[in-house]
Amino acid sequence: MLGYTARRLLQFIPILIGLVTVLFALLNILPGDPARMMAGPFANPDVVETIREEMGFNRPLWVQYLDNLWNLARGEFGRSYQSRRPILKDLLEVFPKTVQLAVAAELTSAFIGIWLGVIAATRRNGWADRLIMTIAALNLSFPLFWLALMLQIVFAVFLRLLPPSGYGSGFDQFVILPAFTLALPSLGLLARITRAALIEVIEEDYIRTARAKGLRNALVMRRHILPNALIPIVTTVGTDFVRLLGGIPIIEVIFAWPGIGKYAYDALVFRDLPALQASVIVLAVAVSLVNLAVDLLYAFINPRIRYV
Amino acid sequence: MRLSIREFATFDWRRFRQTRLPLIGVGVILVFVLLAAFAPYIVTDPTQIEMRREQSGETINPPFPPSPRNLFGTDQLGRDIFARVVFGLRTSLIVGILVRGLSMIAGTMLGLISGYFPKAVDDVIMRITDIMLAFPVILLAMTVTAVLGPGLVTVCVALALVAWPDVARLVRGQVLAVREQTYVEAARSVGAGNWRILLRHVLPNCMGPIIVAFSMGIPGAIMYEAGLSFFGFGIQPPTPSLGSIISDGRGYITVAPWYPGFPGLVLTLLVLSVNLVGDGLIDVMNPRAARGTRRGDSAA
Repeated sequence: MLGYTARRLLQFIPILIGLVTVLFALLNILPGDPARMMAGPFANPDVVETIREEMGFNRPLWVQYLDNLWNLARGEFGRSYQSRRPILKDLLEVFPKTVQLAVAAELTSAFIGIWLGVIAATRRNGWADRLIMTIAALNLSFPLFWLALMLQIVFAVFLRLLPPSGYGSGFDQFVILPAFTLALPSLGLLARITRAALIEVIEEDYIRTARAKGLRNALVMRRHILPNALIPIVTTVGTDFVRLLGGIPIIEVIFAWPGIGKYAYDALVFRDLPALQASVIVLAVAVSLVNLAVDLLYAFINPRIRYV
Repeated sequence: MRLSIREFATFDWRRFRQTRLPLIGVGVILVFVLLAAFAPYIVTDPTQIEMRREQSGETINPPFPPSPRNLFGTDQLGRDIFARVVFGLRTSLIVGILVRGLSMIAGTMLGLISGYFPKAVDDVIMRITDIMLAFPVILLAMTVTAVLGPGLVTVCVALALVAWPDVARLVRGQVLAVREQTYVEAARSVGAGNWRILLRHVLPNCMGPIIVAFSMGIPGAIMYEAGLSFFGFGIQPPTPSLGSIISDGRGYITVAPWYPGFPGLVLTLLVLSVNLVGDGLIDVMNPRAARGTRRGDSAA
């Protein structure tokens, strides 16, 4: 298990080098001049030239590439062109806020999704089940940015219940709308998986035995059904968390949540290439770590699986 | 391609026709496709502006609310939103099919090669997919369009670039299973070359999952295009895009909720319908496959 984890972690290194290479190629080999990109479309040529000097864009490409890799290998992200602060400092400030949002969103989605699944499974073929499964079949495939906009208008503009956007202290009323927007699209999937997993267990003999010996329904659910149905549910929550991270930049920008997604977006808009590179790397590492954690968790709750 | 017919034989039209939701999806898509195809003959000119209008004796300024004349109301320049949405649908459909086509072709080719040829080739291709899958999708797509300059073609290139690795992995998995089949061995024993085996025997037997993946990927492509355009990294005016209409309407959300509302509803309906058809395809082609195990959609 430890060996497996170590190997997975080691695999990050070539992936990260590849990531930096692709990004570097994108920003250099494709048409478009990084100095001009930074200066903006209407900059005068002198400014472009100065930026080129300052950022070292006038050196041969391979020197720039190796220099870049070497800096990153030493954990040297460089200075943000926009905030003029060390990027590492910026990232340490914005990253925890993204974690807060992601955790809040996943908790929301897991709780509501599993709860809906339990309701559907225990009232099988009742009206609640039909309603939940119909909604789940539609899968709530809203475009995130539009969903965000509509929730903002309903809850912030018309009902005035929640702030439309911004950041308070992490887990306060500011997190509700963005977290819910991120969670909503995965509710249907989670409810569906939970329902299917529960129903499979409910039909087992040992559940009938538990009921026969007089256990209350809630206790049967908690002690016997849920633990045995946990594996597909946890796996789905894990993969859902990865999906959710993909939507983070969009949500952060729309809700003005000062996390790493918004940081990366701003870096792109202001052509702040070092900051963009650093935040893409950090986001990629975060997603890979979550993936690894999901795989390990999977082995943990299902002892039949052993990674070697 | 004789063997592909056998694959289609498992596609049970009777079963498909019995499913209700996918059929509704097909209906909605048909209506949208017809609207988009005959847009210029159906709706008014989406660029026609109208700066004032008489209503019950008063002169009012745009955005005008929905009325029989403007089903979805108008924008701040008095342009008919229904007309713009219909032309935006055109963009969405073109992008969805083009992106999915491009990424399916690239992904299928690389997946075939990766699954069939020796481990060294497989390793190289799979490591590349690892790298591409590690990128935050929306940021990578935005970066590509920022570098290449926004526009329909660049959006398609950017979105195909982020979508092919998933396809390559799926196809590779299929190839790994198919290449051990007796008929592949038989083909090899009568002297068929690698490419002939790949294209005539392996590929046709992977077609089922490929077709499903094609349809399942379209909603993602459509939503990413809308997302890119919403943030100004996508389709540029004057080409209408649902994403950019919603983006324009953002500022009028309190005075004219119909402005960003209707384009979003149409976009949602389109994505929903394609998803439903995809679900139906899965059920029909592989009834045992677990429903709801798809990934990658709805991230935008």
